[in-house]
Amino acid sequence: MPSTTVHAGFALLLAAGLWRGVLDRRVVAVLLALVAFPEIDSAAGLWLDGAHRALLHNLTLPLLAGLWLYWDTRYRDSERSWLRGRWGQRGVTVAWVALFVHVFAHALLDYAHLEGINAFYPVYDRFLRLEGELALSTTDGIVQTFVDVDVGADGGEVTDVGATGTTADTHVANPVEPSDTVEEPDEPVERLFPVAESGWQLFLVLAGPFVLVARRFQKRRDEA
Amino acid sequence: MAPTTVNVAVGALFALALLGSAFDRRSVLVVAVAAAVPDLDAVLGLAVPGATNAAFHTLLLPGAVFVALYWDTRYRDPDRSWLRRRWGWDGVRVAWVALAAYAVAGIGLDLFGPGGVNLLYPVHDRFYAVVGRLLLSTHEGVILTFVERGEGLLWLSSPGTTANHHVETWVNPTPGPGLETGIERRLTIVESGWQLTVVGAAVAAVAVRFHLSGTAGER
Repeated sequence: MPSTTVHAGFALLLAAGLWRGVLDRRVVAVLLALVAFPEIDSAAGLWLDGAHRALLHNLTLPLLAGLWLYWDTRYRDSERSWLRGRWGQRGVTVAWVALFVHVFAHALLDYAHLEGINAFYPVYDRFLRLEGELALSTTDGIVQTFVDVDVGADGGEVTDVGATGTTADTHVANPVEPSDTVEEPDEPVERLFPVAESGWQLFLVLAGPFVLVARRFQKRRDEA
Repeated sequence: MAPTTVNVAVGALFALALLGSAFDRRSVLVVAVAAAVPDLDAVLGLAVPGATNAAFHTLLLPGAVFVALYWDTRYRDPDRSWLRRRWGWDGVRVAWVALAAYAVAGIGLDLFGPGGVNLLYPVHDRFYAVVGRLLLSTHEGVILTFVERGEGLLWLSSPGTTANHHVETWVNPTPGPGLETGIERRLTIVESGWQLTVVGAAVAAVAVRFHLSGTAGER
């Protein structure tokens, strides 16, 4: 995974973009906790094979959460909404922002990294990875390699959307479980906790705090 | 360097995050364009050798604008501020956010990639790039390779100077000035998965904000 710090940095940037008014510490803390939460499926990987990047890194959960959220806060009579009754309008906003941030800053960012995510996990067990480029070329026209459509051996169309495997044969390395070997190693395994593995990751780590600090320095219109 | 699409996407996210009550269609557009402006030095590279990622990617330019803005909007008597009199409170806010987008989303994002940026261009001619990794290892402690003591002035890795380092763009794919014909030009829109995610997130966030401000306006 791009490490949790990268998710957190990008999540803060997105949250600051969606949030109007004062983004106070409590909201920031709640959002950071929610963004980091899916990583505990790497611990579940100790008991359940291939659980990391599958159990909580999928698009099925956000889809269900989104449907429920829509039903509870928009469709339902607003006096009967559970979320609004429990935490008020602020809670509703936090929930929507958290859902947005989880999908883009966590799930989809992991989708583009290593073996990707198990996008539709319990329903359809397949790790998918987003990789490719999109360019306009004077000699090749539009070049797009995110989804490859090819003619297969039997003459039929083969579409490659970046499938990398299933929970049975795919392991995404993480600090809790550095490799998928089961036998006890002779010496302690090296565990790596990445903060940023490349320049752009460091950029995202720093961009979130930058925006929050910049907002602190800004004067509100009524003070100006 | 990162494709201009990604610069614009990050610039748009900065606009959403920082514009506050100056947020509207026009101001978001101004800030997003400000993030794209540094990449125009590729055009200048057709005339000036090695100007790509150098001429408008130098920190001296936003530095000068910062001094001017600070003087006009902060130091000076507010009633005499040119920007405030001409464009009002919104104009001051948009100018500051556009400057941040230019420096961080326009120059900064390119700095954090392998192509590098000529940070102090006319004064000190050397490209710098923040590349490497930062990890904590149970065996080796902290591994940090972003910082390195090279031949340059700054402690960053350097791909070269304007004389020997050329950043390829679709405007000027080959080193050196002059407009060539008969070669492949490739305008990269996104070059990897994470960039597609960032662009997608920016588009979605902008759509959500405009949708919300639209419905708020109807009420």
